[in-house]
Amino acid sequence: MHATLAGAISGAGHALSNDLQVLDDAIECARFTRWVPLAEGRRAAESSLRIGGMHCNGCAVIVEQALRRVDGVLDAHVSAVAECATVQWDAARTRPSAFVAAIERAGYAAVPDTAAGARALRRQESRDALWRLFVAVFCAMQVMMLATPSYLSTSTELAPDLKQLLDWGSWLLTLPVMLFAAAPFFTGAWRSLRGGHIGMDVPAALGMLVAFVASSGAAFDPGGVFGREVYFDSLAMFVSFLLGGRYLEMRARHSAALSLEDAIGRLPETALRENADGSLASVSVLRLQRGDVVRIPVGQAFCADGLLTQGRTRADESLLSGESAPVDKVAGDAVVAGSLNLGAPVTMRVERVGADTRFEAIVAMMRDARGRRPATLQGADRWAAPFLWAVLLLAGGAAAVWSVIDPSRAVWVAVSVLIVTCPCALSLAAPSALLASAVAMARNGVMLRRLEAIEGLARMRTLFLDKTGTLTEPQGRGVQMVRIDRGPRWTDAALRGTAASLAAWSTHPLAKALAKENASSGAAWCELAETPGQGMQGRAVDGTVWRLGRSPAQHAAAIDSDEVEAWLSCDGQPVACFRFNEVLRADAVAAVRALERDGVRIALLSGDTPARVERIGRLLGIADRCGGMAPQDKLVAVRAAQARGEIVAMLGDGINDAPVLAQADTSLAMGEGAQIARAQADGVLVSNALQDVVRARSLAKKTLRVVRQNFIWAAGYNAACVPLALVGWLPPWAAGLGMATSSLVVVLNSLRLAR
Amino acid sequence: MDILYLLIPLSAVLVLGILGVFAWALNGGQFDDLEQHGEQILDAAVDSFDKHQDA
Repeated sequence: MHATLAGAISGAGHALSNDLQVLDDAIECARFTRWVPLAEGRRAAESSLRIGGMHCNGCAVIVEQALRRVDGVLDAHVSAVAECATVQWDAARTRPSAFVAAIERAGYAAVPDTAAGARALRRQESRDALWRLFVAVFCAMQVMMLATPSYLSTSTELAPDLKQLLDWGSWLLTLPVMLFAAAPFFTGAWRSLRGGHIGMDVPAALGMLVAFVASSGAAFDPGGVFGREVYFDSLAMFVSFLLGGRYLEMRARHSAALSLEDAIGRLPETALRENADGSLASVSVLRLQRGDVVRIPVGQAFCADGLLTQGRTRADESLLSGESAPVDKVAGDAVVAGSLNLGAPVTMRVERVGADTRFEAIVAMMRDARGRRPATLQGADRWAAPFLWAVLLLAGGAAAVWSVIDPSRAVWVAVSVLIVTCPCALSLAAPSALLASAVAMARNGVMLRRLEAIEGLARMRTLFLDKTGTLTEPQGRGVQMVRIDRGPRWTDAALRGTAASLAAWSTHPLAKALAKENASSGAAWCELAETPGQGMQGRAVDGTVWRLGRSPAQHAAAIDSDEVEAWLSCDGQPVACFRFNEVLRADAVAAVRALERDGVRIALLSGDTPARVERIGRLLGIADRCGGMAPQDKLVAVRAAQARGEIVAMLGDGINDAPVLAQADTSLAMGEGAQIARAQADGVLVSNALQDVVRARSLAKKTLRVVRQNFIWAAGYNAACVPLALVGWLPPWAAGLGMATSSLVVVLNSLRLAR
Repeated sequence: MDILYLLIPLSAVLVLGILGVFAWALNGGQFDDLEQHGEQILDAAVDSFDKHQDA
């Protein structure tokens, strides 16, 4: 024990002194540094750092001053709000380690900011979207104000020149909306037209363009070919509704990207390499090569796939394999990058690095599955092309017919047709209902990242469930004590307390659970020793030797048994046995039953041992259960179900579930699950309650009903008004009013969901 | 009601002015993180804020 502890401390000390020099490594440096040109053809390096420990702008000033005092630092900007710093430095005069050391001397922590580029891009995108949204909404409000008089007054009350002035004002205020705020729709429409297909942007852009051109014509040449009615208010309102939806979508996308960045931070950035002469060097993990020998301190993640060469330890591979108990590792065993070293400091030989490791393979598999997600949910785009052609044909036909009957009315009849069919209500029908439903779900504990997940939830035929951490509590294993001796020497409570106080010295997850569930007696121990994989031993004040760990009979790791046991013995005599059960979440049975009643097939996919999966499956009455599955096996199972034409949902929590979450049509992750699983899922169960899935599904079904009602209303409105416009009975102002009313009806109908 | 002929153009110009003010605030980063300052009082690290004030 002493030797390993001393080894860990000396290892850590070594790492500290060497850590900063790793930053000067050219490859490592390039991850957070860019080159910027200066005057006279010279160039400077610009590094991004994340600063920890700042509370206010005063701190930012302190860090800035500390940075500027370093020789060779040209400029430094520190932001207290974003907790980051940008440093410009002269590569000939200083090194990153020098100014990071300066920040640390000033009393703050600094780490290289490798995600700075992506974050800057996201900030720019978010500012841009907010700016467009504000321009559209604010101008729409003003235009509506200017449009109100012509709605409220009769034509005799409103003097023609005043009406003219109001129209000009509306035109001026619509100009920024058209030229700037609506630009994404026009570029999107142009891109898809050039690509040879028609997306939902095309009808929207066409509607905007026609409304704007017709209204401008009416504003500047009243009574001309475009008549005298303007629709600037409908136009601006339409653009702001659409931009509002896009803004919310972007916010969700950004928060997903942020959590993905956090998840990738799971691999350590530096490794302690043993050189050929036995000396130690702290190097960037990017510099590791096959065959390098690396030391891994306790509590750190393995930096690469490889083989243990020295020492024995336990590794927590649960996030990668789904196996709930830590795995014993002795010299010669393979270890996996990203798993945690729990037992003792060990040395390993690197076998695979970087993109070859299993951790990276899982991340890549997840991205790949995400890209190939079946496109069952792109209904809007499917209908865009026929819709657009029908509208164009109708308008063109009307103009042609009317140019024969009465050429003076031909243009405004065509304009009426185009305006009355403007896909305003149609394009709001689904998003407004989905948005309102997402708000209601968030209040019920399901945070959605993609609105389309609602459709998937309502339509799912099969729900795949992960076991560990999803159906069962992740840590809170129930501990049951069985007394072996029946003597009066100790009370139950005293034994529990003794076991808990002994367990508190160990880092083993079972010991942690034991220490958490029972109040420690606070006994003092001496001669504490822990044998990895065997147990914890200590001498109490009264001289008795207590041991907590495996029973001798259980030597041959009985990890396949249903239950895991820990034995407490006093002076070699077994006293009590603690049984650890995986505890089902309180609402698991009820939720599974309710979903099955609802017509959902439930299947259990787990990376845990088949015996344990069997037990949980029996408890829940799930017939379809598979254990011992690697992430790719799970992926195969889900793809097979999709190939049968089923709509598949997945509920999981670990990194090993991430690829499957990306593949499934709809995916949900537990709120206490791994970052990467949460980043990948369409929705997160914030309170970890499985009953929320049942509630979310019934809400999702209701949402689809509302969407259908909205579509029927919007399509019915169009179907009723198009003939009126075609025969010239619908003046454009009535078309504009009808368009606004039908949108309002759709939005109000959707809002019923949020109640 | 002749005053309307002055007020309507004036309001249009005013709107453009307000848009300019918003642009300035946006590019100054005032909308980049709306939650952070609200959450700050719940942050455990904040009691060192007061120590900082004493110094």
